[in-house]
Amino acid sequence: MTLTIDIDGTETEVAPGTTVLEAVRAIGGYVPTLCFDERLDAFGACRVCMVGIEGLTVPVAACTTLCRDGMRVDTRDETALRVAAATVELVLSELPGPPAQHTELAVVANALGVDGGELRWPGEQHEHVHDERHPYLALQHELCISCGRCVRACDEVQGAFALTATGRGFGSNIAAGLDEGFRESACVSCGACADTCPTDAITELTLLALDSEEASGAL
Amino acid sequence: MRFDRSVTTTCGYCGVGCRLEAHAADGRVATIAPALDGPANHGHTCLKGRFAHQFSRKRDRLTAPLIRGEDGALRSAPWDEAIALITSELTRIRDSRGPDAIAGLASSRATNEDCYVMQRLMRAAIGTHNIDNCSRVCHSPTSWALRQSLGLSGATGGFDDIEAADAAIIIGANPTEAHPVVGARIKQATLRGLKLVTIDPRRIELADYGVLHLSPRPGTNAAVMLGLAHVIARDGLTDELFLKQRTKGWAALEDLLADYTPGEVSRITGIRAADLERSAHIYAEATNASILWGLGVTEHRYGSEVVRLICNIALMCGKVGRPGSALLPLRGQNNVQGSSDMGALPDTFTGYQSVGDEDVAQRFEARWGVTMKRTGGLKIPEMFDAAVAGELKAMYIFGEDVAQTDPNTTHVIAALESLEFLVCQDIFENETTKYADVILPASSFLEKQGTFTNAERRIQRVEAAIEPPGEARTDFDILTTISKALGHDMGFASPAEVMDEVAQLTPDWAGVSHDRVARGGLQWPVAADGTDSPLLYAERFELPGGRARLAALPYKPPGSEASDEYPMILVTGRRLEHYNAGTMTRRTGNLELLASDWLELHPDDAERLWIGDGDLVSVRSASGRIELEARVTVRIEPGHVFTAFHFPEIRTNLLIGSSADVNTACPEYKVVAVDVRPVAEEASRTPAITGARRD
Repeated sequence: MTLTIDIDGTETEVAPGTTVLEAVRAIGGYVPTLCFDERLDAFGACRVCMVGIEGLTVPVAACTTLCRDGMRVDTRDETALRVAAATVELVLSELPGPPAQHTELAVVANALGVDGGELRWPGEQHEHVHDERHPYLALQHELCISCGRCVRACDEVQGAFALTATGRGFGSNIAAGLDEGFRESACVSCGACADTCPTDAITELTLLALDSEEASGAL
Repeated sequence: MRFDRSVTTTCGYCGVGCRLEAHAADGRVATIAPALDGPANHGHTCLKGRFAHQFSRKRDRLTAPLIRGEDGALRSAPWDEAIALITSELTRIRDSRGPDAIAGLASSRATNEDCYVMQRLMRAAIGTHNIDNCSRVCHSPTSWALRQSLGLSGATGGFDDIEAADAAIIIGANPTEAHPVVGARIKQATLRGLKLVTIDPRRIELADYGVLHLSPRPGTNAAVMLGLAHVIARDGLTDELFLKQRTKGWAALEDLLADYTPGEVSRITGIRAADLERSAHIYAEATNASILWGLGVTEHRYGSEVVRLICNIALMCGKVGRPGSALLPLRGQNNVQGSSDMGALPDTFTGYQSVGDEDVAQRFEARWGVTMKRTGGLKIPEMFDAAVAGELKAMYIFGEDVAQTDPNTTHVIAALESLEFLVCQDIFENETTKYADVILPASSFLEKQGTFTNAERRIQRVEAAIEPPGEARTDFDILTTISKALGHDMGFASPAEVMDEVAQLTPDWAGVSHDRVARGGLQWPVAADGTDSPLLYAERFELPGGRARLAALPYKPPGSEASDEYPMILVTGRRLEHYNAGTMTRRTGNLELLASDWLELHPDDAERLWIGDGDLVSVRSASGRIELEARVTVRIEPGHVFTAFHFPEIRTNLLIGSSADVNTACPEYKVVAVDVRPVAEEASRTPAITGARRD
């Protein structure tokens, strides 16, 4: 049995259990995402993959919404895009600077037209807190947007359960173990967290060195 | 742009075969990420594949050929001079002593194409079947046994069978350390409901995620397998139709199994009878169940027989040839499957075609324009014996540090010292190159092009992210150049052309080409039209009559047993952070994560021997003695000790004797009787190479 759905005017058949996001990607469409990683179970936390569904009054998250037969999906729905853009704008407003161009966050911000110019809701920004005690992995806590991807990659891909989401609200962040750093935690240094991080909150020391070389070379 | 060059390639560490996206900047690897579409790794990799790449530009990389002068010192030399010397020496020895006075080793770390040209160099340019590779010392028993029992030398399925299975048995493998990405996949599968039974002398990490852990005495795997089979037969859990239609030898096996009651097996192995019975039921009653094993099965005196006994269990339950019911050997090195597939073995050409088969031999002779003997050459341990006996005069060792990784190190060194001429082709100087007359600077997996074949029989592409450093060359370039200098021009312009020749000469690889391997890889056998084989034996086994062969092989005690003088049993293995001889990982940040080996010891033994956690201890076997730090842990059973072999300053393999598998000569690394005692004073950590006690 398959379901027939319509995405932006294109009819497509999907298997039951397919999410709207999977259906959109299967036909080569684009919906921005932040907390989504195909290696992990859908999380539905970031509210950036918003799409319009005919018959619903509010947009829904494409990553956690299952396709229904006859569903009509609008990935260019005005309300959905406005909500997503505002969400990303709020995320950016907490960061100490614009996201590095190679990051997923920058790609999503560009796609939603959030160019990092004048912020509508300026407020408190995260202080630099760096942890470079591991030979390969660097934590840059000020870049954490609490998408939960690293924590879930550690649990669902590697199974080391070394990372934890900590704090609440503006103070939300991540910690390796009980915040004693990667080496003292249950970390097995697989790097799945750095691989999935959309902001460089967890990245590699060699890449930081490369980026700073590049930055100084550009001066 | 952050990077100058980005390639999708295949990891050069273990046999899992993770697909990697390697990015380079300024001629160095900048970062490595997992390929999301990697069939074995599903967008994941471990700290070796992802991070341990800085070795590739370490200052002590070999960047020019080195020739040993009259004074014994090495000096840099131009390539022309090194090649001329190799050519003249090998020609002199061949002409005076015959081609069988020369032997070569291919590398399970190198590509299929490298291994193919290496065996062709030895067979066609030199004229000897004295070619082997390091799978001899790890999974040769698996290769041999799978061919005997089922027909083909490879896993019956792939890693996707882990998720498709309802139950699994892991025996003699520690995947979360030695095959970390498969280890993670198994762990995730257990969290989703896979019923896992782990069988290992050590309580490995996955034991904490399984339903049952059995700790047999080292060297008693055969009894465990026979016991499981006994319970399966006794409790009517066999697949009668499968046994009748698809196997041979059941009557003899059934008779043999009668002796291996749980009580008897418990006496031999030390595991509880009830645990044995429960394990047999978990495996046999599952709709689909797989068995995975590693070197803890093979590196024994009867390792090859145990692999056959593992096959028995799967065959008795009809759990072969469908998704989720697979036999999955966890191959040790990245290309241990491929190096053997490529004929870098003394008795077979590519695809395990016997050198004694007239039709096969003629096909190769016609292609290469040479004539060859119909009898096989020397296996690795036999090469060392022949060298010590003065019959073998020259060796060409490519990508293997035999003086650190092979057993009975003292004997290996004596063999290397006996040679008139030794060529080493490697990326770093190592324990073996100390005895070399010429050292050729080769390339790592990040610097060359070709294919690796992983533990799933999957042929995958390898692409160069960076260039070889300095004057170093690709192994393909070096080996074909030397072959030409010896008068045998292979005529290959690229590794892709090597694969084309393999396809033409090898029925199981008939449809393989670099273009077809592409991104997704191909699992051999590959038909001429390019159809590959993710699953083997769905309908027939690759043996006469299409039937699998059950093996009625009794338990026999291991080659080394605890005695009054050597009362403990040493088991060796790998640590997560390092890889084999450590040549690569010790030159990366992984050394910061794990700086040395240690000896694992049970608290009861520690107390009895007055050894505290962190104390320096002496470990002595009949073959040698080493010193290292002790760590007290309940993960090991009383009477057993464990260490790895990654550090030359500890040199674990000094302890290993020459006991080996009866069918394949794979060394018995996993059972060594030793004496452990504290070292009272601050002692030297220099290993005692010649100071081994003689009784």
